[in-house]
Amino acid sequence: MGEMMSKVKVSTTINGDPVEYLCDAEETLLDVLRDHLGLTGAKEGCGTGDCGACSVVVDGRVVCSCLVLGAEAEGRKVTTVEGLATGDRLHPLQQKFLEFAALQCGVCTPGFLVAAKALLDRNPDPTETEIRFGLAGNLCRCTGYDKIVRAVQAAAAEMRKG
Amino acid sequence: MGRPEPRVDGRLKVTGNARYASDFPVANPAHACLVTSAIAKGRIVSFDLDDARAVPGVLDILTHETVGNEVHEPKFFGSGGTASTIHRPLSSAQISHAGQIVAIVVADTYEAAREAAYRVRVTYEEEDAATTLDSDGVETLPATKVRKEHKNPRVGDAAAALRAAPVTIDAVYETPTQHHNAIELYATTCVWSGEQLTVYEPSQFVHALKHAMAEQLGIDAEDVRVISPYVGGAFGSKAAVTPRTALVAIAARRLNRPVKLVATRAQGFTIATYRAETRHRVRLGAQRDGKLTAYVHEGWEATSRLDDYLVGGTETTAHIYDVPNVSTRVNVVRTDRATPGFMRSPPEVPYVFALETALDELAEALDMDPIELRRINDTRNDPITGAPYTSRSLMACYDEASRAFGWRRRNLPPGSMRDGDWLVGWGCATAVYPTFMGAATARVRLARNGATRVEIAAHDLGTGAYTAIAQTAAERLGLPVAAVEVLLGDSALPAAPVAGGSNTTASCCNVVAKACDGIRRRLVRAAMRADRGPLRGRKPSSVNFVDRHIAGEDGAKVSLADAFDMLGAPMIEEYAHWLPHGMEPDALKKLHLGSAALTGGAMEDRIAAAFGAELVELRVNVYTGELRVPRIVGAFAAGRIVNPRTAHSQYVGGMIWGIASALHEQTELDRRVARYVNTDLAEYLIPVNADVPDVQAILVSEEDRLVNPLGIKGLGELANVGTAAALGNALYHATGRRIRKLPLRIEDVL
Amino acid sequence: MRPFLYERATSECAAVQLAASGAPAQFLAGGTTLIDLMKLDVLRPARLIDINGLAAGAAGLIEEREGALRLGALVDMAQAAEHPVVRRKFPVLADALRQAASQQVRNMASLGGNLLQRTRCPYYRDRSWPACNRRKPGSGCGALHGQNRGHAVLGVSDACIATYPGDLAVALVALDAVLEIIGADGARTMGAAELHRLPADTPHVETNLAPGQLIAAIRVPAGPWTRRSLYLKVRDRESYQFALASAAVALDLSDGMVRHARVGLGGVATIPWRATAAEDQLVGRRLDGELARATAEAAFAAARPARHNAFKLGLGKRTLERALLQAAQMEL
Repeated sequence: MGEMMSKVKVSTTINGDPVEYLCDAEETLLDVLRDHLGLTGAKEGCGTGDCGACSVVVDGRVVCSCLVLGAEAEGRKVTTVEGLATGDRLHPLQQKFLEFAALQCGVCTPGFLVAAKALLDRNPDPTETEIRFGLAGNLCRCTGYDKIVRAVQAAAAEMRKG
Repeated sequence: MGRPEPRVDGRLKVTGNARYASDFPVANPAHACLVTSAIAKGRIVSFDLDDARAVPGVLDILTHETVGNEVHEPKFFGSGGTASTIHRPLSSAQISHAGQIVAIVVADTYEAAREAAYRVRVTYEEEDAATTLDSDGVETLPATKVRKEHKNPRVGDAAAALRAAPVTIDAVYETPTQHHNAIELYATTCVWSGEQLTVYEPSQFVHALKHAMAEQLGIDAEDVRVISPYVGGAFGSKAAVTPRTALVAIAARRLNRPVKLVATRAQGFTIATYRAETRHRVRLGAQRDGKLTAYVHEGWEATSRLDDYLVGGTETTAHIYDVPNVSTRVNVVRTDRATPGFMRSPPEVPYVFALETALDELAEALDMDPIELRRINDTRNDPITGAPYTSRSLMACYDEASRAFGWRRRNLPPGSMRDGDWLVGWGCATAVYPTFMGAATARVRLARNGATRVEIAAHDLGTGAYTAIAQTAAERLGLPVAAVEVLLGDSALPAAPVAGGSNTTASCCNVVAKACDGIRRRLVRAAMRADRGPLRGRKPSSVNFVDRHIAGEDGAKVSLADAFDMLGAPMIEEYAHWLPHGMEPDALKKLHLGSAALTGGAMEDRIAAAFGAELVELRVNVYTGELRVPRIVGAFAAGRIVNPRTAHSQYVGGMIWGIASALHEQTELDRRVARYVNTDLAEYLIPVNADVPDVQAILVSEEDRLVNPLGIKGLGELANVGTAAALGNALYHATGRRIRKLPLRIEDVL
Repeated sequence: MRPFLYERATSECAAVQLAASGAPAQFLAGGTTLIDLMKLDVLRPARLIDINGLAAGAAGLIEEREGALRLGALVDMAQAAEHPVVRRKFPVLADALRQAASQQVRNMASLGGNLLQRTRCPYYRDRSWPACNRRKPGSGCGALHGQNRGHAVLGVSDACIATYPGDLAVALVALDAVLEIIGADGARTMGAAELHRLPADTPHVETNLAPGQLIAAIRVPAGPWTRRSLYLKVRDRESYQFALASAAVALDLSDGMVRHARVGLGGVATIPWRATAAEDQLVGRRLDGELARATAEAAFAAARPARHNAFKLGLGKRTLERALLQAAQMEL
């Protein structure tokens, strides 16, 4: 039992910075980000991988941080919504979400932004259908789906210009 | 005002820096996890807590054996209080609904609390539970019996008119149980500092929560502060005070340590409110030319044993068409379930679905275009009282929507439009939402350099309240929106009404404008009295505030800074209160005590409502019965639009809610035991991005000089009304099959 | 979640050795089922062996060998769905993967783990329901007379009517895929169709994997039918929902005549369902609307509906019918 209670030591990279933390084996990456590291941008909307509000990018791929153990981040590169902007300069996706009114209550927004970033990093010129299906794992209840698609398209166009 | 300003809180939201209730850092919190009842009715015989207590890190386990009467009985909002229910979990061994809180485990970590919660063993004595409208053991009572002030709208002799009508419709409609499922979970953090309690909880009414905590905990209201600057979706679920808050406060008091609760998604289905299932019998009588002669509507709504929650939607439907003979009746059906509550357009969603479907059936019987039927029965006056609408643009909405949709190309006969494997149907329905307003107070401070701060305990649920209020102050004071800082969602701020009934923009912009006007008067007076001032001697009504100046009509102007110097003060602070038309003066006192009283809709001397028209295309796969909505067009008129961009978002979001309500959402009940089954977001379906390809919202201009000084009507709960009927009507048009029960599903059309 | 010991394995050999000794262990790959059900207290392993490191080796590769496809078990669903060989030569697999879950879940979930996905039956997933033979042997079946819209009509027993929720496995059983299994006592192979067990009287024994055994790879033989293959999935929502009914179909046609047929059904059965009765109907006949209909009838001849899922008979038949006709029309 003593061994089971022991903490797991994790060395990882979060938003470009090397980070080390100790976590319980049972803690999810979402818990670690929010409770230990003060990165509360990722939200818990379901805890069961159904809503996408906790989305973060791990090694270039968007995942539900509520179903990843904190221990699994060892050696990985994690990006959260807090890592999208460069200083005061918003990422084009953030800028277009503002311009296109692609957010309302805002609780799904961080998840949408990181999922959209991962999508555009892999596919810089997605079709509308690819966006709609690619972001189907992010639920918006308010619901700004249509504007979100427009914002992602506009951000993609801007990012392609460089 | 009137400009599509981007959301002022947008930057915080896109950077992840907007703080929602569970994001606030508190020092050394303990974490709570709920244990909820596995039975719907009966009593707790015993707890076995040994295993749970043995989990390292567990600090406390609250049960009825240790809490008892520590929480004072809440007052139900339907009886003038603020609580979602009078039910007090942990006050006795009694179980009154499935999923009620039966224990709260508090531990050093969330993981320990959760593990221990799973290790709590409860032994129950179970009784048979009555689940839903037609279950054995329910109690059905007329609304007039359970709510003295309830009136069933009626006029003329509907029975005689029905008998005489050459064309009649008589049908039964049903709507399902639904849950709000805002993406933000129900969260509460309570922090005590001596006698003072701070509550971080997403709230649609911080003043009510503050006073409810004072009453339920037996403490002074001035010792309670509720902080809720951002709310991650609410849709009615965070309006009335639910039982969890007082229990978390007690847990924190017992430990003398902050306690944080984030309930699970599944627990959210039972520890707060929901939209209860309804049934309707609607009878319509009409002449052959389509003129309605009779409208009879009887509704049945599920509620709990403890509280008679009532939506009474005929209060809306009886007033919207020109029918000389109306008879309505509403009944509540008491079941062994939790008490339902407000969910986005509570009366309109079910009742308008019934009426607007019946109208489509009538149009079919008359072989008439359904929009034409509505045009024939359009009215400028309340058919029940004869009072005039303050403004009404229903048919203008139909005209604009049908133009954009291409409605003219619709083939009338059902089943006559097909595209490959898909049967295509077009349907329409009316959206309506009464205009509500509440007493409100606000404080506005303007500094010499133009920096403005607006303080009002209103709530931004994602609706855009921060932005609308900032725009109002900016316009009144002649400043850019960026100069205005708006503070909301904090009970330490001047009281504002519940964010319910879509009243926030109307109530809060009017009171903020009034406070700004107070500031204007003082500056104008100073400028007019100043020796050698350019505006000396002018009439106050002849100047305006533009571009950081007080400007006369002839171009003479004084800068704000100069006006402040003339006044001899570095800043001005004004406090204002506002009472809408028809509201008793004691409404302000009640507001300060957290009362949710609103006025509006059908009043004695006038009737105020926003209208819209929704046109949809529904496709039915001829092989698989899959239902898809390739496009929807809605046109809406709601008086003065403070911000077309956020209003547009509300309309688009509302229509998608409507699609969800018609095609996806249903909380399924295990009728044997009065329990919900599909309590997660994989099985409780809401649309995903791929389900809503083309949603078009048209803002129809409308001027209303009567409804309130700024001419604003609420619109947040407008666009999801009518969508379900439009889709059901489109399904009929596609297939010739009339489905009178929501949601519309594959199994209904196969 | 109950406390557990977290360990990492960096090779297949190390993984099965670790699992073979000490307290009962589960392998952790994508975690989309395991972590989920641990949080719900339905699964309570004493040890987790994190095998994600294996993805750096053969378990993370997609290879084509002598026409057969070898999918490493640690390949994630998204990778496999996007792989050019899978898309071109085994479209039914790509279809099934692409239509499953969400981008997030497809990025996380491994192919091996996906095969072992547990049922979504709410009476199983919520431990506060007293009756679930799958979760608590002998406790009864909550769904049999409860809410069962999503439940199975094929392969059911009085002990369990829970639907197998996955898509990929349905395609794999249709294509006669073979699983490479390793354990502390060595390697073996198993037909994909042998992996899942019908619930019968022991729904809690879900698979024929022994404790500590690991799926290392999936081998999919190519045949003249694999290119003419597709997966049709029907659901209320356009995306991100488990199938109400699905059909995996692979056909070898010659002048409209069926030479070989492979048919799997999803969303309607307790296990990934190989519809051999349907295949028998098809072979040697001309595939037209009438044969498709007769085939669908045969596929569901043994179906047993419950109160809310009777529509799945009609829906399942139409889905299969549609899939057959669409496959017949595929341009190769």
